[in-house]
Amino acid sequence: MIAGPLLTLSFSALVLAALAGRRWPRTWLALTVAGSGVALAAALLVLFGTTDWEWRGTVAFGGELPHLRLDGLSAIFLALVGVLGGAGAVYAHEYWSDASHPTSAPRGRAWWSVLVLSMMLVLTIANGLHFLLAWESFAIAAFFLITLDSGARAVRSAGWLYLAASHAGTLALFAFFALLAERTGSWDLGPMRAQAGLQPLFWLAMLGFGVKAGLFPLHVWLPSAHANAPTHVSAIMSGAAIKMGVYGLVRFSGWLPVPVSAAWVLVIVGSLSALLGIAFAFAQGDLKRLLAYCSVENVGIILVGVGGALLAVADGDSPWGRLVLAGALFHVWNHGLFKGLLFFGAGSVLHATGTREMSRLGGLWRRLPWTAASFAIGCLAVAGLPPLNGFVSEWLVYLGLFDAVTSHGATAWAAIFAALMLGSAGALALASFVKAGSMVFLGAPRGRAAAQAHEAGRAMRGAMLLLAALCVGLGLAPTLVWRALARGVAAWHPAWTVAPVPGALQAIGGTQLALAMLLPAVGWFAWRKMHGRTARRALTWDCGFAAPTARMQYSSASFAGIASGWFRWILRPRLTLRRPRGLMPTRAFRLERIPETMLDLVIVPIGGLIMQTASGARRLQHGSLQAYILYVVAGLVALGAMVLGAGIR
Amino acid sequence: MRDLNLLIGLAMGLNLVALGSSRLPSIIRATALQGVLLGIMPLLLEHDFGWQVVAVAVATAIGKGVVIPGLLQRAMRAAHIEREVEPFIGFVPSLLLGAFGTIAALAVARSLPLLPEHAKSLLVPGALASMLTGFVLLIGRVKAISQVCGYLIFENGIYLFGLLLIGSTPLLVEAGVLLDLTVGIFVIGIIVDRIQRAFDSLDTRKLTVLRE
Repeated sequence: MIAGPLLTLSFSALVLAALAGRRWPRTWLALTVAGSGVALAAALLVLFGTTDWEWRGTVAFGGELPHLRLDGLSAIFLALVGVLGGAGAVYAHEYWSDASHPTSAPRGRAWWSVLVLSMMLVLTIANGLHFLLAWESFAIAAFFLITLDSGARAVRSAGWLYLAASHAGTLALFAFFALLAERTGSWDLGPMRAQAGLQPLFWLAMLGFGVKAGLFPLHVWLPSAHANAPTHVSAIMSGAAIKMGVYGLVRFSGWLPVPVSAAWVLVIVGSLSALLGIAFAFAQGDLKRLLAYCSVENVGIILVGVGGALLAVADGDSPWGRLVLAGALFHVWNHGLFKGLLFFGAGSVLHATGTREMSRLGGLWRRLPWTAASFAIGCLAVAGLPPLNGFVSEWLVYLGLFDAVTSHGATAWAAIFAALMLGSAGALALASFVKAGSMVFLGAPRGRAAAQAHEAGRAMRGAMLLLAALCVGLGLAPTLVWRALARGVAAWHPAWTVAPVPGALQAIGGTQLALAMLLPAVGWFAWRKMHGRTARRALTWDCGFAAPTARMQYSSASFAGIASGWFRWILRPRLTLRRPRGLMPTRAFRLERIPETMLDLVIVPIGGLIMQTASGARRLQHGSLQAYILYVVAGLVALGAMVLGAGIR
Repeated sequence: MRDLNLLIGLAMGLNLVALGSSRLPSIIRATALQGVLLGIMPLLLEHDFGWQVVAVAVATAIGKGVVIPGLLQRAMRAAHIEREVEPFIGFVPSLLLGAFGTIAALAVARSLPLLPEHAKSLLVPGALASMLTGFVLLIGRVKAISQVCGYLIFENGIYLFGLLLIGSTPLLVEAGVLLDLTVGIFVIGIIVDRIQRAFDSLDTRKLTVLRE
């Protein structure tokens, strides 16, 4: 099969790119794009073909024989990494160029290739030991990419937080793979659903991969890392890197026997992630932070799908599980694409204006028309509106959940709960992206930076347009995608072999197409309507105030005011207020900051406790010989007492 | 058996002398005397001893009673110190600890499941008390030389335990232990010299600057 040579080609291109990246930017670009494209081709070959690709090496590496495997499930994720790895490289070529970042750009190029390569390895390796190695190199490459701009304090602390969280997760994975190897007698990975004794191990996998995926209570590293990283890095982190955690969860929930309680936890935690993630996103004033929290929401949606599929399996292989899982897998693609697109757009805005604060932006659509248009497409897609791809995948998840409501017992309640949570999250997502889009691109510029912005260059625009086109294309042709999704579903659960395209999906495909046809017509009609008459330009009604300024527009906090009030109990906004005083008030302001609630109120105190305990133990080791001898004596006396006690009893 | 117990009792008394004195020469002397007493003990235990037992006894007495104390005294003179000035555990508390330890050793030995022929002898409590004394010296003293004495007394305790098994332990093992000990003291003597040169003092508290 041809996928093998293609992957070899792709991997070697990426290795060469990592080596060439420091010196020759153009060679690096060509090699990285080629490597990513070839990997994408390999993934599509497997997805639209009928056979999986598998290869076992004969030369041991680290005491284990290499074992690579590309089946429907890994291919879905590999395709996404291919697209984002290539598009991000094109974007980075202009966004983080040698001219603008002379010291960090060479480093950034090399690490980018390493990151893409190690993610591809994570997706294809089927040996626990090698998986851990690839996983670690992936985490480290991501760390160096996040901290490319290491001069800034916020960037460094975001990087350390990411590294610490990532390694906390890796620790769980070490335990997971070691215990797995111990119980199965081999590091080789593969389907092992029949061995019921492995059930408890899934919890470890859930912890380890959950940290990387950014599940709600474990997401603490995600907002700051994604907001402070260079934007092309945020795009691949949010679009592809957190999907590695999702991949781990999907992969091992398919291979391992999963306790039913874990499926419940996935559904509940996924729903909470979706709702709270988007609630946090809505309240943010920082554009990239908003996008980062929105990733927490989307991972929640995906995991609701995975948990739902697990519940369906436990429920006697109910057919609706197929739909939720296909929806989840499709959402993996879609979220990767539109989140990449949105981050690219945010990067273009940041590049043009130098700020991520939405309250300083505004009116950019006139100056950045390409960015505005592609960002708008991204907003529509992420809000789950037809006729774009986000709608289709969420629709599949909803379809599955609605089917599940008709089943009996507790599963129906889980489905009702999840559907309600996802529905509320969807509404908030719409509001969040209305806010993001309108704050940044509509209205009048709120500051000088926004008024003097300039459009991004060809490479950045090209990367954005590619992802926008993919968002539209996947939305209009969902039936084409179904075959690939069905391959992924069949790889996850062999009993759910390739099925015909569900009627609902066919119907939605037609509707989407009709809508898409209709939209230009409506647009043209509206344009005619507006420009047919002579427009009269005047101030809007302004309560009689004769000199309005751009600062009198809605700010991002006032836009989100009411809805973030509903989530005040968890957002805990910090308010600094100075009311206008006297007859001639001079200075007055209202400052609202949303802290990292989970980090500040949960993780930091726990970390402090561990730190205290640890430094208490550290005090025992002080270099005093006498005290060390005392420890020996105490130990000996304790041992003697134990032996004596045992002897007397 | 009575003679042996008398000697062990004397050794236990010397433990207390070592604990209670602040002058280094008297600690070294107490240790040396204890070593000689220990050297005599095998002769009392074995009724029909051959030349090997005599050799070990003589070697032990000379090694522990003359050679090692001689080395220590040289080190002491080279380092120009005479007294333990500010110990971690004061002399009176050390004495109390030693006395308490001796009583506890007697009590513990009673509850140990010993062979009937050892039940009456002071070997086990003596060994325990010496080891405890050694530990107190090691923990409570600051100067390297008194710590070496503590180590020696500790070793004497182990030797006393070894006497329980004299019937079944080959003498070669005893000789080996003695050799080990002598080499150990040599090494410590060299280290003491190095500490003295590096820190201008034999205060082991100063070694804490070497951590990490």
